[in-house]
Amino acid sequence: MRPDLNLDYALLVPEYILGLLALAIIVIDLMMPKIRKDALPFITAGGLAVAFAVSLLYIDTDDNFAGLLSIDDYTTFFRCFFIAVTFVTVLASAQYVQTHLRHPGEYYSLLVISTVGAIYMAAAQELLTAYIALELLSFSLYVLVSYAKMERRSNEAGMKYMLLGAFASALLLYGISFIYGASGSTSYAEIAAAFEGGTEGFTFGTLIGLTLIVAGLGFKVAAVPFHMWTPDAYEGAPLPITAYLSATSKAAGFALLLRLFSGALMPVIDDWQFMLAAVSAITMALGNLIAIQQRNIKRLLAYSSIGQVGYMLMGITALSPEVSSALLLHMTGYVITNMAAFTAIIAYHNASGAEDVSDFRGASDRAPLLAAVLTVALFSLAGMPLFAGFLTKFILFQSVADNGYFWLAALGVVASLVSLYYYLTVIKEMYVSAPPDSFQQEGRFRIPLIMQGAVIVLTLGVFFVGLYPAPLFELTDSVAAVLFTS
Amino acid sequence: MISLEHVLVVGALLFSIGLFIALSRRNAVGVLMGIELMLNSVNLNLIGFARFVEAPRPIDGQVFAVFVITVAAAEAAVALALAVAVYRLRQTIDVDRLNLLKW
Amino acid sequence: MTVAEVVFYLLALLSVIAAVGVVTVPNVVHAALFLILSLLGVAGFYILLSSEFLALVQVLIYGGAVATIILFGLMLTGGRDLPAVGPGAQWPLALLVSGALVVLLLTAVLNTTWPRDAGEMTLISINTLGSVLFREWLLPFELASLVLLVALIGAVVISSQEERES
Repeated sequence: MRPDLNLDYALLVPEYILGLLALAIIVIDLMMPKIRKDALPFITAGGLAVAFAVSLLYIDTDDNFAGLLSIDDYTTFFRCFFIAVTFVTVLASAQYVQTHLRHPGEYYSLLVISTVGAIYMAAAQELLTAYIALELLSFSLYVLVSYAKMERRSNEAGMKYMLLGAFASALLLYGISFIYGASGSTSYAEIAAAFEGGTEGFTFGTLIGLTLIVAGLGFKVAAVPFHMWTPDAYEGAPLPITAYLSATSKAAGFALLLRLFSGALMPVIDDWQFMLAAVSAITMALGNLIAIQQRNIKRLLAYSSIGQVGYMLMGITALSPEVSSALLLHMTGYVITNMAAFTAIIAYHNASGAEDVSDFRGASDRAPLLAAVLTVALFSLAGMPLFAGFLTKFILFQSVADNGYFWLAALGVVASLVSLYYYLTVIKEMYVSAPPDSFQQEGRFRIPLIMQGAVIVLTLGVFFVGLYPAPLFELTDSVAAVLFTS
Repeated sequence: MISLEHVLVVGALLFSIGLFIALSRRNAVGVLMGIELMLNSVNLNLIGFARFVEAPRPIDGQVFAVFVITVAAAEAAVALALAVAVYRLRQTIDVDRLNLLKW
Repeated sequence: MTVAEVVFYLLALLSVIAAVGVVTVPNVVHAALFLILSLLGVAGFYILLSSEFLALVQVLIYGGAVATIILFGLMLTGGRDLPAVGPGAQWPLALLVSGALVVLLLTAVLNTTWPRDAGEMTLISINTLGSVLFREWLLPFELASLVLLVALIGAVVISSQEERES
């Protein structure tokens, strides 16, 4: 029993709001069947906006809850980050859910609950809390991926995702048990203290434990060779959930990895760097090479996102304050870009039912705005100048090279060039190929105003990060500094 | 006396057998059985460490095991729901034959 | 050999052989029964390691809930008709991976001197466990309740029969 425990529940208010919101959505869905169809996404978005505003009150707090969660700037950053991603996903889902899915109330409330899991993955400073938060996010995603249950692919994807996810959890837990055995604690700070002697306290058992932890978390963020579930889950899931998977589940995994490796494993950095360097190199090489062969736009983006995971793993490999800041910056840019791409694809899919790359032919005539947004987003993902992707990648690669991993950064540049090729095939379909014959009768697609607004705001975000990154850069710098002060 | 190594060896054996089951079974419920076995070996490890290792708070391992059991039970429930849903559409839960999506 | 050691070896034999049984029996329902046996063996270890509460939970959750779920799962999905291990190329690879893993894990376990191994058991009363669980670990406990809520909603949404289907 520890008397000095800080049990200040006021630190957790944003998550209370999210939890209540999730329950409120279900209740509204049950009680008021008339308004639910149109209003639910907007009620959800309103609640998320409140939670976002409340999260901002915690800027510059430096506290912890019962030694389990840190409530510091890093947590505040990710609170805002994940709530914003859910906000965009909810708005982008509105039309799709109405036409394709049943049980809208549970859909939105699961999205909101999964946000709590993602936030606590970033906030946890202790392995058990991190694990439960991870499972909270994963469980919501298992259900959401299989939400289109009338569709065979969705079910099948959900089952594969769930079985592989549970398998990965078992590996992760076995690793955690070894680390617990070696250090006698699950708290990051106490693990770091136990490993303080550097390589001497580092036994073979610890190495195996660490390897299993990397494998388990590698599954969750979809690093090669643990990526098998990604293309299936991306293809089978309802489109907005694919977008959500590519943003929140990845970012949350990295938020956890960053806090874990900087908080607990810094003293033994020499013992794990090589492992992560190898995983990072394979991930970006294979992800980008396999993406070339893909014909389904969701699978293409799945492999492209695997490639992106490779770049982000670089940031964990060469762990240091500057690299962490660059990683956070890159992650933010990537998520904004990816949400822009997916929102455009969702809008296009709602209008046309398109899923294959070839369905996008003549998109520049059928939906000029969406084609332009998608082009911007894909160029940004490939890392072309002017766009967010170029700048964030440049800063990330440079800081990684400065920290002794020049070869990894060089490989990243080559992989980016490869990725440009398959992004260009999509852009070529949209601008060079002629639209299908049905275009003459149908004319241009009608895109709902809210989707137009969403893609325009996200595209502006891509340009903002690409052209005037100074404010964001300062922000991630101060956020990353929190990790290395204690 | 039983020592820590004894417990860990049993844990390692159960974990590997569970891994083999999870990788080789064709029935989705069979795969789940393998995963449950793996989770149990984790718990055995945690309890073993909690018992033998000198720690600031030796109880943490036991608490962790309680949570692992909770999550494992929830996992089984969701997996069963998914298996039933897949079976309803496909009349099979043979993982080898669920190949609408390429592995 | 002390009594505790004899019991330990018997339990080890029971749970490992039952686990091997899960792999080898062709009938999936029998495999599930072997699984339950193996998990009960693990509960025996918990008693031996004087974690009675965990043993109780293990028997209730695994012997009761999970076993029922798995058997229901097999019943509802006609699992009995499937051969246990397919002719596909999966299993030799699986054997290779798990064989390599067992060697690695055993080396890790036997060659590592756990720096904090006290060599003897520290006893924890069930009262302490309860008060610690609901004080220091209250937050994960609440998160776990959210996990269960998600599982509940998910199971209902995914497996409910829709009118349109029939």
